[in-house]
Amino acid sequence: MGIQTVSQALSNENGGSSPFGFKNRIINGAMVIDQRNAAASLNPADQAYSIDRWKCRRSQASKYTIQQNAGSVTPPSGFTNYLGVTSSSSYSLLSTDYFAVQQIIEGYNTSDLGWGAVGAQTVTLSFWVRSSLTGTFGGALNNGAEVRAYGFTYTINNANTWEYKTVIISGDTSGTWLTTNGIGLYVNFNLGTGSQYGSATNGSWTAGSTQFTPSGTVSVVSTNAATWYVTGVQLEKAPQATAFDYRDYGRELALCQRYYVQSNSAASGTQFMEITGRFTATTQATYTISLPVTMRAQPALSISPAYNFSGGWYANLAGITNYAWTSAPAAGTAYLNNSVWFYVSCSTITSSYVGLWTDPYCPTTASANYFAITAEL
Amino acid sequence: MTKYKLQLGAYPMDGSPRTPCAVLKDDTWSIPFAPDNTLYQEYLKWLAEGNTPEPAEETN
Repeated sequence: MGIQTVSQALSNENGGSSPFGFKNRIINGAMVIDQRNAAASLNPADQAYSIDRWKCRRSQASKYTIQQNAGSVTPPSGFTNYLGVTSSSSYSLLSTDYFAVQQIIEGYNTSDLGWGAVGAQTVTLSFWVRSSLTGTFGGALNNGAEVRAYGFTYTINNANTWEYKTVIISGDTSGTWLTTNGIGLYVNFNLGTGSQYGSATNGSWTAGSTQFTPSGTVSVVSTNAATWYVTGVQLEKAPQATAFDYRDYGRELALCQRYYVQSNSAASGTQFMEITGRFTATTQATYTISLPVTMRAQPALSISPAYNFSGGWYANLAGITNYAWTSAPAAGTAYLNNSVWFYVSCSTITSSYVGLWTDPYCPTTASANYFAITAEL
Repeated sequence: MTKYKLQLGAYPMDGSPRTPCAVLKDDTWSIPFAPDNTLYQEYLKWLAEGNTPEPAEETN
């Protein structure tokens, strides 16, 4: 199917999509939630996350920065945020290079598309984009195993101007498409890619390997200080674009928290009340974190080193330096997707303290102290 | 270079020895042995490449 550029979206009434929610399979498409970076600029590692659900891909370090509302331009009407990429140099691409931002959609959220068989449903990708560059830009979709690819292009006609783009994509009738909590679909926006990962067929599905774009598209990272901004990204089961599926903040945050949860210390010297625990031995304390939503998988846990697993009112155990997961006895997968149970080893405490309450304590400045829990795809 | 270190579980209630229950990646992420967890899948891939994690310490 071809590319369609229109000045505004069709109305919901004309779109034919469900009005009951989750029309848009992209989470955080309005770029509102940024748990990790709180709108700070990021020089990303490969596979690092910028704002929630948006993953950075890059084969070389320090070729671009990414930030919520980078450059502080006015977003398109109806939006308050955007995802902004700024090129850090005039980089000459190697054939093996790739630079992109991507969203990975869980299989449960694409299961109704019927891809991989006759009757595969058409989807439409729509978004607002703005760049200091003009020309033909690219992107690609891949299946979970990254052996099916669909390339697409879109044209930015005017520099530094928000433009609305739509891409109509026929459903793939071949390949294997997960419909579980694994990877259902990759959606890639190219920022500059060499021939190895930049040769997707424009406008059709083909077998092959990981692809980020068709060949010959604009490379943002090849122009120093070039910008590429995007917001209002929507992927819907429909043969045409419809209005952006605005979701309330609480629901969007909850959707993001299925994959990542972060809680920062409110202030220096405060306890994290989300975490409660008790001393279970003279050298060990165990804690439980109740998660705000059921996560996609049993998550991994990271806690800032600055945390002091103190003993609340009962003890002051500075110097506890490590922590670990453990499997709760007789606990099933569902339980572990809903809460995190972990323990820390600690300095030897008085035996009479065993069984007493304890909670994590942040003795230093608040901004860098947090716990993070990830079940990202 | 990614570094992995095994982590022991909590003290079993029956007094049996502690066994590894997780792996610590780059001193940052404590990763459960959970097949659906992406970080654990990366760890398995790392193992398959012939790498070996650091042993667990009793104090972890």
